[in-house]
Amino acid sequence: MVNKGKKVVKVPEAGQWPDKVTLPALIAGTVLTTAGFLMAFFYAAPVNGAALDAPELVGDVMVTHQQLLSQKIFYFHMPVAIVSFVALVFAAYYAIRFLTTREQRFDTCSRIAMEISLLFVVFTMITGDLWTRFEWGVWWTWEPRLTTYLILMLIVIAYFVLRNAVDDPERRAVYSSVVSIIALVDVPICFMITRLIPSSIHPVVAREGGMSPDMAATVVVVMIGMMLVAFGLYRLRFRQARLQERMDALKEQLED
Amino acid sequence: MARVSVTKPSTFQQYKTLLGKDLRQEFRTREMLTSMGIYAFLVIIVYGAALALTARNLDIMRMGGGLLWVLIVFTSLLGLARSFAHEKEQGCMEGILMVPLDRSVVFLAKTTANFLFMLVVEVIAVPLFYFFFMSAEQVAPSFVWIVVPLLVGTLGMAGIGTMLSTITMNTRAKDVMLAVLFIPFIYPLLYACVTATTTAIMGTEFWIDFFVMPLVLACGYDVVMLLVCWVLYDFVVSA
Repeated sequence: MVNKGKKVVKVPEAGQWPDKVTLPALIAGTVLTTAGFLMAFFYAAPVNGAALDAPELVGDVMVTHQQLLSQKIFYFHMPVAIVSFVALVFAAYYAIRFLTTREQRFDTCSRIAMEISLLFVVFTMITGDLWTRFEWGVWWTWEPRLTTYLILMLIVIAYFVLRNAVDDPERRAVYSSVVSIIALVDVPICFMITRLIPSSIHPVVAREGGMSPDMAATVVVVMIGMMLVAFGLYRLRFRQARLQERMDALKEQLED
Repeated sequence: MARVSVTKPSTFQQYKTLLGKDLRQEFRTREMLTSMGIYAFLVIIVYGAALALTARNLDIMRMGGGLLWVLIVFTSLLGLARSFAHEKEQGCMEGILMVPLDRSVVFLAKTTANFLFMLVVEVIAVPLFYFFFMSAEQVAPSFVWIVVPLLVGTLGMAGIGTMLSTITMNTRAKDVMLAVLFIPFIYPLLYACVTATTTAIMGTEFWIDFFVMPLVLACGYDVVMLLVCWVLYDFVVSA
């Protein structure tokens, strides 16, 4: 045995195959979201084919052109919100993987998925708030969907506060994994709340009469674009964090 | 030759022992109950100042449910923060962890203990709240039904709180950390319970419809959260 007596230090590995597609994914995501932005204004018609030059009757409600234009926010608001949910699902998935395998790698995955989720949650809040301002005339209202989503944001923030408050790395990883799994309970609640509580005034696409093909196409383009952007950001951040860990491990090895 | 026979205590036996330990400790020191009770009373006094100018023409029946739950949330936060402090100070937690038992039993026992303490405080605080703010008003016959949301809400808060206070026991700035985690996680439960409580207090026509729906949601949240915490507790407490 050559290695006998020699301490074998496991150095965190970095650089897997997805790193090769990171850059193309980011570029494709940027192109698609930009295309989606243009489509939202030039391709997708206003709701029910209304014209923009005068107030128009949509359904039973008189809407102004300002409201018809603020509807365009929807093409970004919904995809971004969906991506934030997906990122949370991944965070919980990696948290479960961590708790079963105890590999530091999965904790890093979970943490970075949570970071991406925070980013997209904030985007959702910003786009949602702009829309609320023009459509409902208020910056904030305690509507069930808004409230549950705000709570989701607070949970994601609490996750990072918790990470900062624990010193021991092993313990920090376990605690934050557990919190990200419990946080997943809030995702279906937030998603279903507009259907569960009928008095909720937050629009649901199916309830508003579905989307016309041009609207659906725009949503799909933006959705794919946002997914690719999220994936690209996730891989970039993951590689950076992983290289950092690798460097720390190598430094420690050299000191021994 | 004397034979030593060792029988493994049943899970229920372990649960009873752990719960008994918590209750006995509380009866001897009365540390948590007094601090929580006094705190609840102080919050009521603060309400008195806050509502001093509006109490005459304020629709207290409509606000009562919410105010009552604010009182309960902050009082339980205080109790939960204490519930693991003495375990740690006196090294009791290490002792419990050395016993070969299923760790989720610890969760169940601790949740029951916290649930009971919170109930005792509510038994004192709710009549006090009624006495100070609602005794001048005509009370709807459905008022007694506020017991149901109180029980459901307290159970969920005890479960989630036990889990989170185990986590925050080992963090820096534990009290703040507990609040930062506790309030978002109980929020859906709180929302549902406040709705049900207010409906019961108001007791308008068809109140039962608006009373049952949030309660069903609250029970669902309780079940899911307690199950998740019960499963994950082993990881948290052994970390």
